[in-house]
Amino acid sequence: MRSGIFTQGTRAARWTAAGAAMVMAGLLTGCGSGSGSGSDGGTITAYVYGDDAVKVQQAAVTEFNKTSKVKVKLVSVPGTDYVNKLRSSMGSPSAPDIFFNWGGGSIKPYVDAKQLVDLTSTVNGDAELKDGFLPSIMTAGGLDGKIYGVPMRGMQPVMLFYNKKLFTENKLEAPKTWEDLQKAITTFKAQGITPFALGGSDKWPELMWMEYLLDRIGGPEVFKKIQNGDSSGWGDPAVLKAAQTVKDLVDQGAFGKNFNSVDYGNGGAPTLLNKGKAAMHLMGSWEYSTQLGKAPEFAKKDLGWTAFPTVAGGVGDAADVVGNPTNYWSINARTKHKDAAIAFLKTMASQKYAKALVDNGDIPTTSNAASMLSTSPNPQFANDQYSLVQKAPSFTLSWDQALESQYATPLLTELSKLFAGKSSPEQFVAAMKAVK
Amino acid sequence: MRGGRKTAVGNVGRPPVSWALPGILFFAVFAIVPLAIAVYLSFCKWDGLNSPTSAGLDNWTRLFKDPEVRQAAWLSLLLTTISWAFQTPVALLLGVWAAGRQRSRAVLSAVFFVPLLLSTTAIAMLFHALLDPNFGVIKEIGPWFGIDPNVMGSSTGALLTVAFVGGWQFMPFHTLIYQGGTRQIPQVLYQAAEMDGAGMFRQFFHITLPQLRNTITTSSVLMIVGSLTYFDTVLIMTKGGPGTDTTVLPYLMYRTGFQTYDLGYAAAIATALVVVATALSLVLVRFSGFGNMRSTREGM
Amino acid sequence: MSVDTRHTAPTVSPAFRTRLATARRRKRWGNPLAGLGSLVWLVLVVVPLYTLISSSLMHQDEALNGDPLAFPTNPTLDNYKTVLDSGFSTMLGNTVIVAASTVAIVLVLAVPVAYVAVRTRSRLSSLAFRTFLLGVAIPAQAVIVPLYLLIGKMGLYDSLPAIILPTAAFAMPVAVLILSGTMRDVSEEMYEAMALDGATPLRMLWQLAVPMSKGGISTVAIYTALQAWNGFLFPLILTQSEENRVLTLGLFNFQTQFGVNIPAVLAAIVLSVVPIFAVYLVARKALINGLMGVGGK
Repeated sequence: MRSGIFTQGTRAARWTAAGAAMVMAGLLTGCGSGSGSGSDGGTITAYVYGDDAVKVQQAAVTEFNKTSKVKVKLVSVPGTDYVNKLRSSMGSPSAPDIFFNWGGGSIKPYVDAKQLVDLTSTVNGDAELKDGFLPSIMTAGGLDGKIYGVPMRGMQPVMLFYNKKLFTENKLEAPKTWEDLQKAITTFKAQGITPFALGGSDKWPELMWMEYLLDRIGGPEVFKKIQNGDSSGWGDPAVLKAAQTVKDLVDQGAFGKNFNSVDYGNGGAPTLLNKGKAAMHLMGSWEYSTQLGKAPEFAKKDLGWTAFPTVAGGVGDAADVVGNPTNYWSINARTKHKDAAIAFLKTMASQKYAKALVDNGDIPTTSNAASMLSTSPNPQFANDQYSLVQKAPSFTLSWDQALESQYATPLLTELSKLFAGKSSPEQFVAAMKAVK
Repeated sequence: MRGGRKTAVGNVGRPPVSWALPGILFFAVFAIVPLAIAVYLSFCKWDGLNSPTSAGLDNWTRLFKDPEVRQAAWLSLLLTTISWAFQTPVALLLGVWAAGRQRSRAVLSAVFFVPLLLSTTAIAMLFHALLDPNFGVIKEIGPWFGIDPNVMGSSTGALLTVAFVGGWQFMPFHTLIYQGGTRQIPQVLYQAAEMDGAGMFRQFFHITLPQLRNTITTSSVLMIVGSLTYFDTVLIMTKGGPGTDTTVLPYLMYRTGFQTYDLGYAAAIATALVVVATALSLVLVRFSGFGNMRSTREGM
Repeated sequence: MSVDTRHTAPTVSPAFRTRLATARRRKRWGNPLAGLGSLVWLVLVVVPLYTLISSSLMHQDEALNGDPLAFPTNPTLDNYKTVLDSGFSTMLGNTVIVAASTVAIVLVLAVPVAYVAVRTRSRLSSLAFRTFLLGVAIPAQAVIVPLYLLIGKMGLYDSLPAIILPTAAFAMPVAVLILSGTMRDVSEEMYEAMALDGATPLRMLWQLAVPMSKGGISTVAIYTALQAWNGFLFPLILTQSEENRVLTLGLFNFQTQFGVNIPAVLAAIVLSVVPIFAVYLVARKALINGLMGVGGK
C-alpha cells in the first residue's frame, strides 16, 4: 500500500481543494448571519477583568439596567487571560460592546484597526465627564491626544510593602535610599529571611522592579521614548544600568533562591510576606486587599507600605510612581447601541459609583475622591496611596500595558531570562533592541 | 492490499465508498482545511484584528534563524525523548506484570488507573501545588532524597518535572496498552519455551518483546505525538520558564500566536511542528515494519 | 475483549499440564523487577493523590503552615462548598455535553469510514485510510490558529459546538484506526454467508460488523470521551463566557479566581474527578478493556 503515495498525490490535492472550496463557500455565505455583536434584543455586553472588584461594576450595571431600555450584560473574564481573551473576541463576531482596558498600548491595536469609538468630543462636550475625573488620569487613558476611555476603577500605584514586625525586630526603618535597602538586605539575609518576596513564575512581578529601577536611574523619559515606538530607547545606558542592578540584586540573594518557582497568582509571594519568611514585597496597591483577604490579622497590624527608595546616582525623581493610573471602559465601534454605551460610561463619574469604589478599598480617580477617603476600610492606607499619586511628577503606566503585546510579551520573556540568570544585562538590552 | 485474495462473491455486498464521505469531509473541514490554512497563513502577516497581508517567505526565513525556535525545537525533542525513554520501559514492565491474572495485580492495576481519570489540567495544577518550593510537599519530601525543593526553578528540574507529570498521567494508559498486547501473546509460545527450559528473562526478551513489537509502535507513536504537543502542562506549571527553558514548540506557538498576536509566524511554527511530528511517526512506523506487519496479518 | 483465551493450547497431555502448572506457580510473582517497579510506582501514584485529598479538607491556613503530609487536624468541607458555589455544576454539565456529543459524532462518522476501508478495495478508500493514518500525527496546536478563524467565521466562537466539532475531528484518526483494526477480524466467510442470503451492505454493517466490533467501538467511545474530557486548548481559545465553560478551563480559572486559596483549588480538582470516578467504579472492566484495545493487535 506504499506504492500509491505518489500516484495518488494529485487526487489527494483535489480532495483537499474540494473540501477547502466547500468551507470557503460556507464562510462567504455564513458571514452575514454570524454578526451577533452580542447586542441583539437590546443588550450590550461589557467585558471586565475578573477579580474581587467586579462586584462594584456589577452593582453599577444593576443600577443602570433599572432605568435603561438597553440592558448591560457584564462578563467577568478571569484575570490571567483577560488580555488574550479580549483580543481573541475582538477579532471575532462576538466582540463585546464595552470593555475594560488599561489605556495606552493596551488599546493601540484596536485604535489602529478602527475598532474603538473616539470619545474625545463626547467627553469634552459633557461637563460631568470632563470635570468628573482627574485630568491627568483622563489623558493617560488616551492615545495621540484623543480620548478612548472613561476611568472605571481605582488607582493602582506599585508600592513597597513590608512586614513591620520583622523591621521592628531587626531595628530597621522602611528603606528610603539604596543604602537603607542594602542594609535591610544584608540584615535579613543574615537572619535567613528572604529580603524580597517575588513571584517570578508569573513574570510580571519582575517587571515592577525593572520599571522602578529605570525610573529612579534614568527618569521617566527613557521609557516614554520606548513607549512612543522608538526601540533604540532600550539602548539608553540607564536601561543597562537598571538591568545590571537587577542582576546584582539577584546575585546578592535579595529575592532568595526560589523566586523562579514562586507565583503571585496562587498566593505564594504574599504568603511569604505575611508568614515572615520574606521581609518586603514590591507590588501593586492591590496587595493590601490581597493580604486583607488572606491574612487579615497581618494586614491590619503588621503590613507596612512605603514608596520605592532612591537609587544612588540616579536622576529620577524619588516621588515618581509606576503602576496602573486606573482602568478604563472603551466602546467597540461596531456596537449597535452607542448611545446607551455612552450613557453607561457616564455613570462612572457619579458620586455613588465613586463611593462604592471607596467602600471596596479602592481609590477612585474622580476629582472629588479625596473627600471620600475617610470612609475607606483603611483610611490611612487610602490617604497614603492618594497622596503618593497626587504628588507624583510622573505616573508611568506598567510597561506590559503601555506597550503593544508584540513588544510586551518578548519583554516579559527576556526579563524572566535576566532574572533567572539565563541572560546577561547586555544580552537583555540587545534582545529588546532587536524586537520588532 | 488484501494479499490478492479473490472470493467467490467478489464485489457483491460491498458498501459504496460514499459511505465514508461524511467522515472524510468532517475530518477535512476541521483538520485538513485548517492545516492548509495554517500553511497559507505561514506566508502572511496577521494580527488577528485586521485582514492578513502577504509576507512572502519572511516568517520562514525568520523561523530558521530564530534562536528561540531552535531552542524550542531542541527542548521539544528532548522532552519527547525523555518522556519516551521514561514511559516505555516502565509501562512495558508494568503492563507485562499486570497481564498476569493474580488478584493482587488486579487491585494494584485499579489504583494505577486513577491518574488517567484526572484531566491534564487537574494534574498539572496538583503538581504545581505539590512542588511549590515554600509550601508544597516537595519541601518536606525533597530533602529525603536530596532533591532541592526549588525543582521547578531550575532548568533541568522544570523540564524533568514536565516529563514526569506527563508520564504520571499517561503511564496507566500505556500500561493498559501493553497489558492488552501481552494478553494476546499466544500462551503456547511460553509453554514451548518453558519446555526448552528458557528462564524468565529469556522468555521476556525472546518472546514477550518481539511479540509486542506492534504494541510498542502504537504506544510509541501516541507517546511521541503526545509529548511533541505538550502544552497544558507547560502553560500551567512553568509558563515556559524559568527563563525560556521549558518553552517547547507548542508553547512558543501559543505565546507567539495568542500573546504576541503574531499569528502568521505562529502558523509557521505550527506547520513546522506538523512536519516534525509526521516525519517522526512515519520513521517509527517504517523502522518497526509496522505497515508490513499489518498486511501480513491481514492475510492470516 | 477476551481474545486471550482463544490462544491457549487446545489439547495437551495431562503430564504436560502438571509440568506447566509448576512452571506457572514459579511465575506467580512474575518478574521481580516488574514487581518492585510496580511498588515504586504505587508510591508515586498514591502520595500525590493522598495529598490532593487531605489538603482539600484543610483550612487555608493549615494547608500553608502545616506539614503537607499530615492529615488535617480539623477537616472541613468548606472548600468544596466554595467550589460548588462557583458555577461548578454548569461546567460539569457542559463537559458532559461536550464528551457525549463528541463520542456520538465520532462513532457515527468513523464506523462507516472504517467499514468502507475494510470492505472495499478502491484506491479512494485506501487513500482515505492513509489520510487518517497520517492524521494521527497532526497536533491540535498546529491548526488552532486557522480553527480560531474558521470557528469565528462560522459564527460558532464561544459556543459548545466550537469545542465539540474540532475535538471530534481530532479523535477521528485514532477511531478509524482502531475500528478498522477490529473490523478486519470479522472473517470474510461470514460476510460471504450473509451476502449469499442477499443481505445489503447496510444490513451487514448493522448485523455483522457492528456487533462483532463491539470491543473496538467501546474502545473508541472511551478513548474519545477521555480526549474530550481532557480537552484544554480548544476550550481555552475557542470559548469565552461562563455559560460555555468546561471543567478543564474552569479549573484553570479557579487557579486565578481562588488564587490564594490552594485548598479550594484542590477541592475543585477532586470534584472534577468525582463524576468520572463514579463511571470508573461502575464500568471499570469496560473502561480498562476498552483502553487495552487501543493497542490493537
